[in-house]
Amino acid sequence: MADKARLRAGTPADAPAPESPQAGGRIECENVYKWFPGGIVLEDVSLTVEAGQFVCIVGPSGCGKTTLLRMMGGLAEADHGRVTIGGTAVTGPDPRVAVVFQHFGLFPWKSVYRNVALPLQLARVGRAELDRRAGEAIAAVGLAGHERKYPAQLSGGMKQRAGLARALATAPDVLLMDEPFAAVDAQVREVLQEDLLALRDRLRQTIVFITHSIDEAITLGDRILVMATRPGRIVRDIRVPIDQPRTIAQVRRHPAYAGLREEIWDRLRQSAKDLAGEQ
Amino acid sequence: MTEPVSAAASPAGPAPDSSSSGRPGQEAGGTREQIEAAIAERRRRRARRDRRTYLAIRIVSLAVVLAAWQWYGMHSIAIIFDPITKVLAALAHLWREGGLGSAIWYSLWTFAIGYLAGLIAGVVIGMCIGAYQKAEAAAGLYLQALYATPMVAIVPLLSIWLGFGVLTQELIIALFVLFPSVVTVSYGVRNLDTDLLEVARSLRMSRLSLWRHVLLPGTVPYIAAGAAQGVAMGLVGMFIAEIFTQLTGLGNLLETAAQTYHTDEALAVLLVIMTLGVLLRALITFIQRKVAPWAK
Repeated sequence: MADKARLRAGTPADAPAPESPQAGGRIECENVYKWFPGGIVLEDVSLTVEAGQFVCIVGPSGCGKTTLLRMMGGLAEADHGRVTIGGTAVTGPDPRVAVVFQHFGLFPWKSVYRNVALPLQLARVGRAELDRRAGEAIAAVGLAGHERKYPAQLSGGMKQRAGLARALATAPDVLLMDEPFAAVDAQVREVLQEDLLALRDRLRQTIVFITHSIDEAITLGDRILVMATRPGRIVRDIRVPIDQPRTIAQVRRHPAYAGLREEIWDRLRQSAKDLAGEQ
Repeated sequence: MTEPVSAAASPAGPAPDSSSSGRPGQEAGGTREQIEAAIAERRRRRARRDRRTYLAIRIVSLAVVLAAWQWYGMHSIAIIFDPITKVLAALAHLWREGGLGSAIWYSLWTFAIGYLAGLIAGVVIGMCIGAYQKAEAAAGLYLQALYATPMVAIVPLLSIWLGFGVLTQELIIALFVLFPSVVTVSYGVRNLDTDLLEVARSLRMSRLSLWRHVLLPGTVPYIAAGAAQGVAMGLVGMFIAEIFTQLTGLGNLLETAAQTYHTDEALAVLLVIMTLGVLLRALITFIQRKVAPWAK
């Protein structure tokens, strides 16, 4: 089925994940708690993300959404409860999971090519295979021709493309994206969103995408989890009734769009007011 | 030469005057490439002009300083201060008959060995205590204590332990270089971008990979800063070593000149030291640009 999707996309060089088993991408969090010195960050969070689903998590600053993502990526530990991916408990960073970081996380001393090839190099993938897969990942995000540039020579949008390419290079089952487009300006963000939608349609990875932006969540997600703060918890689980594949324009024109936006904003308004210092 | 201003203003349309930048082989009616080339050329020219301006300022400043030196030297007593012309003559004299060449050679060799030993040790120790809290807990206190101690105070002890030979001199220089580089490098490791460390974790890097891909390259700018600081400190150490252990090299020349009230010769040696310091720092900057072009 995944193969069909790729054939439809018509560009064979774009999909670096021919061997990616899709069933491994199911994420489960059961009764997860997390405390920080300042108090409770996550309280009794339970959720299931089906393999291949694109889930957006929206919530105000400090609601623990990044902590939740880091737990899925094995970068933080739950104080209570458990997180599993593909049925196995997450005890640390997992090769089936790749993370795209808000501030790109590119190594300034490595070219685009070397940044993207790094996970393959660390996995001791052979030279020819490494070349091919890194090249495919770079092509998939539209960075072909920029392989030799260093991060400092790239725009914000291009940096995040490189970050995405690095995540895709290892053909993970799960892609965790922590506000990946928050550091680029609004117009570039829309372009990246379009590209992610197109890419996603071919790759069929499970994607957990954290964002501040309600619009971004509706545009990208199959499903939106709304989180509230103090303590961090999931207060809404919304299925987005807009068919994939979609474009931003289609989403904005969709009859369900305004209603969804209203519904999520209703949930977030109080936290936003608190954060803005309003009574 | 007309600058192709309108070419830059309308990058999409044809820009007939982009050809007026006067470079041979360039045709009228700019394509995008031609316009870009013209813009790049203009930037280059501006950069060249800036470089020339700064060079001119340097030359003027140098001329003013030398003139002031000359004037003051001519109006003061010979024992106190000498004009630059006399100092240069003394320099030539030292070079021909005073053994300046072999003194520079001796001092530079001693400096190079001590400097490299101190720098390498400093980088290794700095990286370890920067990267591993346990190493910091084990050694940090002593390093801080030694750092706070004036190195000059250790020189008599070192002479007792190791004698007055070249080895002691090299060790003194190494100690002078060691501490600034330890401090700078350990600071550099500790201040590495935490995002990058998180990336390294998520990529499940082994300890060896972490050093190779993250810690070492990420610390290069700090190593370079430590190396540059070490040049200054190492030169201080070199003089202390050459004057307080046994009189050798440039230290000997300086001390002898001062003892015999040859102010012109003492100033000449000072001039040599300053030049060496500037050249060595330039060398460090050059090496840094070669090794780590990504770091500014």
